[in-house]
Amino acid sequence: MKSTLDRRTFVKLTASASGALIAGVYLQSCESEMIPAAIHEFSPLIKIDTDGWVTLIAKNPEIGQGIKTALPMIIAEELGADWDKVKVVQGDFDEAYEEQWAGGSYAIVLNWDLMRTAAAKVRHVLLQAASKKMNKKVSELSTIKGKVLHSKSGEAMPFETLLHEASKLPLPEEVEFKPTDSFEIVGKNTSQVDLQQLVTGKTKFSIDVKLPEMVYATVLKNPVFEGGVGSFDDTEARMVNGVIDIVELDNTAYGGRLLGANSPNFVNGIAVLANSTWSAFQGARKLEVVWDTSGTRKENTDGIFERFHSQLTNTTIERKDGDIHRARKAEASNFEAVYQVPFLAHIPMEPMNCTVDFRADLCEVWAPTQNPKALQEGLIKLFGLKPEQIKIHLPRIGGAFGRRYYVDYAMDTAILSKKIGKPVKLTWTREEDIQHDWYRPASVQKMVASLDESGMVTGWQHILANASRKTCLGREGRPAGTEIDEYEFPAGFVPDLQFEYGHVMSDVPLGQWRAVGLSATVFAIHSFLSELAILHNMDPIDYFLKFLGPARMVPVVGDYEFDAGRLIEVVQKVRHNSNWDIPLPKGQGRGFAATKLSGSFVAEVVTVSVDENENVTILRVDAVVDCGIVVNPSGAKAQVEGGILEGLSAALYGEVTVKNGAAEQSNFHDYRWIRMDEVPEIHVEFVANNLPPRGLGEPPLPPAAPALANAIFAASGKRIRKLPIL
Amino acid sequence: MPSYTLTINAVKRTVSADPDTPLLWILRDTLGLTGTKYGCGKGICGTCTVHYNGNAVRSCALPITSVLEGNIVTIEGLSEKGNHSVQQAWMKLDVPQCGYCQSGQIMAAADLLSKNENPTDKDINVAMQGVLCRCGTYSRIRKAIHLAANKQNK
Ligand code: FES
Ligand code: FES
Repeated sequence: MKSTLDRRTFVKLTASASGALIAGVYLQSCESEMIPAAIHEFSPLIKIDTDGWVTLIAKNPEIGQGIKTALPMIIAEELGADWDKVKVVQGDFDEAYEEQWAGGSYAIVLNWDLMRTAAAKVRHVLLQAASKKMNKKVSELSTIKGKVLHSKSGEAMPFETLLHEASKLPLPEEVEFKPTDSFEIVGKNTSQVDLQQLVTGKTKFSIDVKLPEMVYATVLKNPVFEGGVGSFDDTEARMVNGVIDIVELDNTAYGGRLLGANSPNFVNGIAVLANSTWSAFQGARKLEVVWDTSGTRKENTDGIFERFHSQLTNTTIERKDGDIHRARKAEASNFEAVYQVPFLAHIPMEPMNCTVDFRADLCEVWAPTQNPKALQEGLIKLFGLKPEQIKIHLPRIGGAFGRRYYVDYAMDTAILSKKIGKPVKLTWTREEDIQHDWYRPASVQKMVASLDESGMVTGWQHILANASRKTCLGREGRPAGTEIDEYEFPAGFVPDLQFEYGHVMSDVPLGQWRAVGLSATVFAIHSFLSELAILHNMDPIDYFLKFLGPARMVPVVGDYEFDAGRLIEVVQKVRHNSNWDIPLPKGQGRGFAATKLSGSFVAEVVTVSVDENENVTILRVDAVVDCGIVVNPSGAKAQVEGGILEGLSAALYGEVTVKNGAAEQSNFHDYRWIRMDEVPEIHVEFVANNLPPRGLGEPPLPPAAPALANAIFAASGKRIRKLPIL
Repeated sequence: MPSYTLTINAVKRTVSADPDTPLLWILRDTLGLTGTKYGCGKGICGTCTVHYNGNAVRSCALPITSVLEGNIVTIEGLSEKGNHSVQQAWMKLDVPQCGYCQSGQIMAAADLLSKNENPTDKDINVAMQGVLCRCGTYSRIRKAIHLAANKQNK
């Protein structure tokens, strides 16, 4: 059935912005099948065929977060479709889809109502049509499994019998949503839509794109951040079999370092074009380059951290509640600690790559991007194209983690394709990927607490110093709200509280990494809270619950309130699930941490053993998550496990160090990441409720590192204040 | 350029290439068998794992001249209909996240199960430790290998 749908050619009669009714007819292209049929396109996202198949467009970039399955599930649910007769098609970049990006764990948050509205409108016209045909009241009808059902009589009409009638009706402006307790698809474990393709190697990632006449390419970039190409000798490179051309890439000829306010342009270097990826790689190895490093800072990691440390006393105030100095004088004791986290690379398994066919009339792009809009804007800026001259396809992406929010590698590719007049697939080596990342900012954080006689916090100061992802690339000025802002926990929970930021300029290219600022701040906050508990001989979870106080809405900024009750619930649940109160043998210990991010609440307990030689083995991780309604439990659980393992990997091993202005790491041998033999048992529970679904890609990550550090302390008495641990 | 004949997924393929060209790029660029992936090019990540004469090998680290004698099997040829016990277990447990490493994972797991009908967790650690999954699908991979073993042994 599915394949016949593919072979049909669909002719659109009218175009629609969002939600307008379109009826379409199509031509049969399969001679054997002469039955006239019609696909009805009810909205840009929803098409229903006369054979009963429903085609849904998955509009967001799929980076492994499961969105290609989750968003169509929401549509299918609200529509009342039969999931077994749903075909999901990845959408190209199209402004009509709205919110078409992957970042900040926002996809479900932003699209929950959008998807439901689109589907409820179509359901509305199907119900109207059925009401006429069945002669029943609309209020007595519902949709289920691809049919309109009159439950009183049991009479049902499949969608396909209603299409002609329904497509004549106007879509309503206002819709009512299905009650969440009647959900049939949302909330059920659902295998991802690409599963069969993935396990048979048939999925075409961007790196697998092949076009007629296509030329392969790679790049060699100046390893020194912010450097340029001085001179180079390509005689030997050109002698490599298959090498076609060598092209210098200089961003000063393309508008400099920035495509947009938060969108970096490509890094200077040299591209090798060849008739295979391997020849291009070989050619790049044979290039003799004298790099230009004039005007660069030629930094070293030690020097960078020294500057961070000295900026702890030269700060701007990001939030001030009450008076921390008053608290300090009046209270019984003060305690302080300084924490440090390193630069981190993203290392998605699919290295940076892009394919561009830059023709006179159209610039056609296949890009593994989280941010197609930035890609479009980049092409407009570089080449003066109009939006209608750009077509961006969004193949499935082999991991992103924030790296592919930036589109530098697509700019490289477009320049090459335009220059050579042929389609070009550019593939970076893993070395280029690690050396030219937009790293997670390293930082130094100083925490100071004032405590009353019972050990409870009355004053809280959190100072963070780093180089900001908003000022790298020579952007001067105060970077408001980057790594610590007024929303940071525990704003609202402590009467005298102050957040401060110490800013350092650096050449190190910085960007967003999964969980962004919280990947660093939660490590300091929850390590510190556990330290405070232990200082007062209190159990860290007891202490934290006391710190939170009663379940209530805590005002933080403007209308934004923190639901302490939801956090308390996940903490209590994880305490129970992890057997927190049952003592462990000597040499083992448990650590706890929690966070709220993208509207979701997560609490985690890590259990470790530490031997006499300080070897750490992670035995088990327990996580309890309240993200509201869980759209697809199978995908959601995968996100939680993945986020935890990423947090643990980074805490154990993750570190990019800088020497003479260049990253010292270059491949997986020196940028270590967790492997099968190091993976603990992971237990995940979702809190069951009917609240609107919230983000899940990032929230499970931040608690992992402090929970691990706290567990190591419990097992060995050794306090980790500096990451990575090993 | 010299030409070579390889046996890939039971089909003889003749290609011309430099003798030091790794099998990975012959598969991907020359033959269009893109299920085998590039991850590191240095034999460290396992994303490029294929079978050579029934053993899991890293195709990025094998020059074409070293694989002329025997049978090469890639993810595309692991089973006719995607119904190898490992692939079925992978589907049952919805293993992949981004999916990019999964061909390598599946080929490594199939190799393990062809030699060890009932691997322990330790055996799985040893056999799978060379294949990196950046997304962190390891727990499901482990479960899927046990599931495939149980099915095979029935
Ligand atoms: S690409 Fe071959 S082991 Fe990484
Ligand atoms: S599933 Fe993404 S790297 Fe393994």
